[in-house]
Amino acid sequence: MHRATPAAIALTVASALTLTACGGSGGADVDADAEQTLTVWAMGTEGEKLAEVADVYKKSHPNITVKVTPVGWDVAHQKLVAAAAAGKLPDVMQMGGTYLGEFADMGVLEPVDTQTVKKGDFFPAAWEQASYDGETYGVPWYVDTRVLFYRTDLARKAGAARPPATMDELLKAAQAHQDKAKTKWGLSIQPGGLDTVQSFYPFLYSAGGEIIDEDGKAAVNSPEAVKALETYGEFFAKGVSEKAVRPGYDVTKDFNTGDVPMFFGGPWIMSLLDENYPDIKGKWAVAPVPADKESVSMAGGSSLAVSADSEHKAAAKEFVSFLTDAKGQSDWYERTRDLPANQQAWETGTLATDPKLKVWREQMETARTTPSQPRLTEITSKVDSAIESVTQGKSSAKAALDKAQAEIEGLVE
Amino acid sequence: MPPLTKAAADPAAPVTKTGPDGPPGDGRRPRRPLGRHNLYGWLFSTPFLVLFAVFMAFPIVATLLMSFTDFGARHVTRPLEAEFVGLENYTKLFEDDRFLTALFNTAYFVVVGVPLTILLGLLVAILLNNGIDRARTFFRVGFYAPVVTAIVAVAVVWRFVLDPSDGLIAGLAAELGMTAPDFLGSETWAMPSLIAMAVWRNLGTVMVLFIAGLQAVPADVREAARLDGAGAWQEMRRITVPLLRPTMLYATVITTIGYLNVFEEPFVMTQGGPSDATLTVSLDMYREGFNFFHMGYASAMAYVLFVVIMGITVLQLRLLKDNTR
Repeated sequence: MHRATPAAIALTVASALTLTACGGSGGADVDADAEQTLTVWAMGTEGEKLAEVADVYKKSHPNITVKVTPVGWDVAHQKLVAAAAAGKLPDVMQMGGTYLGEFADMGVLEPVDTQTVKKGDFFPAAWEQASYDGETYGVPWYVDTRVLFYRTDLARKAGAARPPATMDELLKAAQAHQDKAKTKWGLSIQPGGLDTVQSFYPFLYSAGGEIIDEDGKAAVNSPEAVKALETYGEFFAKGVSEKAVRPGYDVTKDFNTGDVPMFFGGPWIMSLLDENYPDIKGKWAVAPVPADKESVSMAGGSSLAVSADSEHKAAAKEFVSFLTDAKGQSDWYERTRDLPANQQAWETGTLATDPKLKVWREQMETARTTPSQPRLTEITSKVDSAIESVTQGKSSAKAALDKAQAEIEGLVE
Repeated sequence: MPPLTKAAADPAAPVTKTGPDGPPGDGRRPRRPLGRHNLYGWLFSTPFLVLFAVFMAFPIVATLLMSFTDFGARHVTRPLEAEFVGLENYTKLFEDDRFLTALFNTAYFVVVGVPLTILLGLLVAILLNNGIDRARTFFRVGFYAPVVTAIVAVAVVWRFVLDPSDGLIAGLAAELGMTAPDFLGSETWAMPSLIAMAVWRNLGTVMVLFIAGLQAVPADVREAARLDGAGAWQEMRRITVPLLRPTMLYATVITTIGYLNVFEEPFVMTQGGPSDATLTVSLDMYREGFNFFHMGYASAMAYVLFVVIMGITVLQLRLLKDNTR
């Protein structure tokens, strides 16, 4: 064994390195008119529904077969990284907003031709999320933001004629729900753990704060951000928000029972409530994020990116524009209830008329996002810890954010 | 493996493959070059060697090399661009508060969890071996079932048991007019809850080992002790426990190794929270490696954990060595 083992290791190391290293070489491009198969990866619900659209696409483009592979969100990041390492990324892939900076930085994404894909067609935050370092690497596909969900019946009992318009009113309304409507809690916001920052964004942006400023510098201990975190912490200090929430907590269950009369939720919550809790149909509504300085929510969502190594770039780009033009986006909304990133899609059908959807649209127009960064997940995890130390009463907002600022300064590029 | 057995039998003999087969002067057997023998040996063991090299040796070596580099997300496509940073990852580790918290939490888990598991496992094994005659199989299956149950199913059940508002324990406490703590939400109670869960999950394995060990204790020794007037307690202390020593050593070593690597319980139950109170070394490593993609740093963590496990195992093997032989 003494002899062969080092040799075997050297061989495997060498072959593994060549395998991974040759990922960078791109092949010759195939014409869009040629017979070809496009590989597409999409996550979660999108992955399930996209195959239907692929069949429709095949009818108008008989030479192109689109092969959709659904990928679960829980493994999506790892699969993409592994595929990037092996140079085996699909032609087209769905890029979660927080992933884009990381993959653009690896150099595995093809920049979008901004001559054909117009920035003005999309919500500004969605476009920003698909851009990194001055280039755009993805075409915004669907967007997602947070608005206030509230129980109209309980609000009436609590004596509120209209949904809270400011953060002060929100706190008062939450207390009124507990006092008069006898709800267990006033407002559900996440006290800690992974991605608490998502729950904090509406507070942060509405107060005029941000994690990273336009110049790409850490700005998380600005007076605005500190004020936002103080407001956030107050909900826990006053006992209107639950301090300990286990991972995987489903707020809709408590919303149904009335234990939680208000929470901030994304667009998917609407269909979830409609499907799972028909009993409270008509007893809940959505309202814009209560204003601090102004009412600004967070923007999330996904874009579609083309791999830099793809041999079918021409066809891939056509398929992406098919999915992201106004017509494709309205159709996609009908299938998935994903909110279109293309603003023109909002001009027709239910998207233009439904009063609930109007709230989403207005919120989306001003929504903000953190600039794409290769280490975004790590940066936001530092903010998560800062929020947790405040909600648990261990630290003042200022001290927690000063600490986060120092950590984030070492992580921004 | 011929060279090894030979070396063991005759330490003086040279362990070279081209050397003569047997001592010089042994003329009865035709001299055949050992290389041929070896070739067959190597051929037959090729499947194992290939699998071992690809899935064990290569990752182990690659991780070691990686732990001295700043390998991160951007090196995924260009692995050779990762820079060699010497011991920086290791020195950074011991200044990292999260890692130190994780080390402390892991130590807490092991120090409380291992003795509990071993003692309860022994107790259950003795009861099942002597005390309980009826429904013995039923109890054995009952105690062993958690071992073979998927962690996700276990998590669902334990979440229900520990739920502060409508959980089993909270419900029982309410019946008695008490309030149960929020087990997974409180920094004080989260770790003990996970330890209880781990003990419950691993009791079965330890129990099976001890039952096997108990059945190997010769009946005549016990009989002799009883004839000499030993009571139950004395029999236990002077006969059962000493004779179970090898089993106990094995059970302790594997339980300790398993607990030092603890990952699943905090991963499914608390995600390391609240406020990192249940963050273990393995979970921290997973986060650094797969959430933030600091492969170099996570590899360094893996090697620190490896050294700790190695050290503790050697220590246990020495301290609990079977002195009766």
